[in-house]
Amino acid sequence: MATVTIRNLVKRYREAEVLHGINLDIADGEFVVLVGPSGCGKSTTLRMIAGLEDISGGEVLIGDRVVNQLEPKERNIAMVFQNYAIYPHMTIYKNISFGLRTARLPAAEKDRRIRAVAEQLELTPYLDRKPGQLSGGQRQRVAIGRAIIRDPAVFLFDEPLSNLDAQLRAQTRLEIKKLHQRLGSTIIFVTHDQVEAMTLADRIVIMRDGHIQQIGTPTEVYDHPANTFVARFIGSPSMNLLPGAVTADGGLALDGNGPIAHPAARGLAPGSRVLLGVRADDLRVQSHTGATDKAPGLQLSGRVSVVEPLGPDMLVYLDAGLDAGTQQVIAKADTRQTLRPGDEVTLTAAPETLHLFDEQSGKAVAV
Amino acid sequence: MKHLYNRLSFQQKKAYWAWLFLAVPILFFAAVRFYPTINAAMISFTDWNLLTEGKWVGLANYERMFTDKVFWKVFANTFLYLIVGLPVSLTLAFVVAYYLDQVRFMHGFIRSLYFIPYLTTAVAMAWVWRWGYQPAPMGVINQILSSIGMPQQPFLRSPNQALYAVLAPAIWAGLGFQVIIFMAGLRAIPETYYEAARIDGIGKLATLWEITLPLLRPTLVFIVVLTSIGLLRIFDQVYNMTVDGQGGPLNATRPLVLNIYNTAFKDFDMGYATAQTMVLFLVLLIITLIQLRLMRSK
Ligand SMILES: Nc1ncnc2c1ncn2[C@@H]1O[C@H](COP(=O)(O)OP(=O)(O)OP(=O)(O)O)[C@@H](O)[C@H]1O
Ligand SMILES: [Mg+2]
Repeated sequence: MATVTIRNLVKRYREAEVLHGINLDIADGEFVVLVGPSGCGKSTTLRMIAGLEDISGGEVLIGDRVVNQLEPKERNIAMVFQNYAIYPHMTIYKNISFGLRTARLPAAEKDRRIRAVAEQLELTPYLDRKPGQLSGGQRQRVAIGRAIIRDPAVFLFDEPLSNLDAQLRAQTRLEIKKLHQRLGSTIIFVTHDQVEAMTLADRIVIMRDGHIQQIGTPTEVYDHPANTFVARFIGSPSMNLLPGAVTADGGLALDGNGPIAHPAARGLAPGSRVLLGVRADDLRVQSHTGATDKAPGLQLSGRVSVVEPLGPDMLVYLDAGLDAGTQQVIAKADTRQTLRPGDEVTLTAAPETLHLFDEQSGKAVAV
Repeated sequence: MKHLYNRLSFQQKKAYWAWLFLAVPILFFAAVRFYPTINAAMISFTDWNLLTEGKWVGLANYERMFTDKVFWKVFANTFLYLIVGLPVSLTLAFVVAYYLDQVRFMHGFIRSLYFIPYLTTAVAMAWVWRWGYQPAPMGVINQILSSIGMPQQPFLRSPNQALYAVLAPAIWAGLGFQVIIFMAGLRAIPETYYEAARIDGIGKLATLWEITLPLLRPTLVFIVVLTSIGLLRIFDQVYNMTVDGQGGPLNATRPLVLNIYNTAFKDFDMGYATAQTMVLFLVLLIITLIQLRLMRSK
């Protein structure tokens, strides 16, 4: 078990810089998830920690040891790959034993450990089989078995679930979380799936184009996104972002809509362009038009365009009548409400659920 | 006709077209391969000599083979080509491919250097090597040997060395092809297998033995079979590098194919030549089947 510290980490492929000096402190036993869109540098970061990729600049520390120059095997890490990387010509037993190849242990002890790990992962019946005879989920467990048998200081996972179907993915996700609770080891987990990130992580690291956008607990990044990128990336459906401007009296006016009070707007110069963020869950849909009583917060009128039932609730896509034509807004509504495409509705949101971003920089405006 | 075709099901139509296209090579094969093979098998039971009509002699040609010293010498030579040539050429090709695969600098250029001999006429290459084996002022190889203070070698003129001297250019010529195939096989192994091995701290040699080679098995089967067949049929190099194309000295380099050629077109003993051909055919068949079985199993 160990901490992992990343200082000003830079990666260059020839001329192209793909990681621009990132910093990250991971506590001992923490479960950290790197998340971001394709090509943002998650795998590159992970592979530099693993020692599979040269470090162009900065430092990686495992424990208090700088490991920049160390071979992967000297770093005391284990890694699980997206395509499992278990050897097709070896039995499951042999595959798991590969994790112990270099360990100086008596053969009997190795055997005992292999069987114990297999038992833990419910792989005992398959020990004599070849990977070709296993399902995707079982193969992934073999890969995990090969990793945990070494009892490494840090586990690295690179999109280990993306080759599994939805149900198996949720199940394996749970197993990984339990594994973490049982072993208590440091885990760095890469995914581009924000749901996976939210459910697994102690802390989420959101990356984009080789920069870290925000680091925080799932609740922090969900409730207080640092910028519009994080706001859109975390949470499903994406946060609605509505353009507007700060008014002379320190309020806020959406383009083509009445003023709303927002505490954060007071810190901005009148006329500043802003984006008002509101999550679908925080929007209330009222199926009658016209102004309701003047409650503080957001009030929007719109027309329902599409309704997507999700079971307990439904997603309502609305064309809100804002200045520059119509703007699509997504809201969540109770299925008991009867809403049809074409219905005129009013959307409201409480002031404390509104997020404010600077339109230019995309940065969140602090209250 | 059209009416009939339209009544076929989808599956049947597919089969119809498949067989139509397959028919061309099958007919061609029947005419150019199967018919002559069967014909040759028949001739091997006659004493046909091109001039007179052959008459049936039963197994006489095959009996003669058993007591023919030259045949046994030639048979042994043929296997020597295989037994020495196969491991040497495969090892060389694999080592070259293994390292070339890791080289980025001038990769294409180096690869073509290995491949060019494969594209060059065997006859021209055989003669170049033949000159190279000459005594000192003429022969490059002996020149090099003496310049580094080693004694000159007789090479093609020594019954003990000639076979290896002939085998060398044959291996050299096939190397480029084997290297290309090996590299394709190596490339097909996912990089993550090696990365996982690095993380587990598996050494280079262990990685080679336990990961690379087993995963390369299909490629190995392919190359072993092709190379074996090639070596068992060696001819061009021997014909062009030995005096009068006789496979000398003292039949030291003569392979089965050359012996068949001589029996047929120097001695005009067609019956005996085809009998030997049948033996070669059987040997090739059996060896190929054994190799396929050995390397596919497990
Ligand atoms: N060998 C390479 N040579 C040049 N550029 C590379 C190389 N490997 C990766 N890159 C670039 O580095 C950037 C980051 O790649 P990386 O694989 O880390 O992305 P990722 O976040 O893991 O994406 P994904 O979700 O698709 O796996 C990408 O823009 C990619 O094009
Ligand atoms: Mg990746």
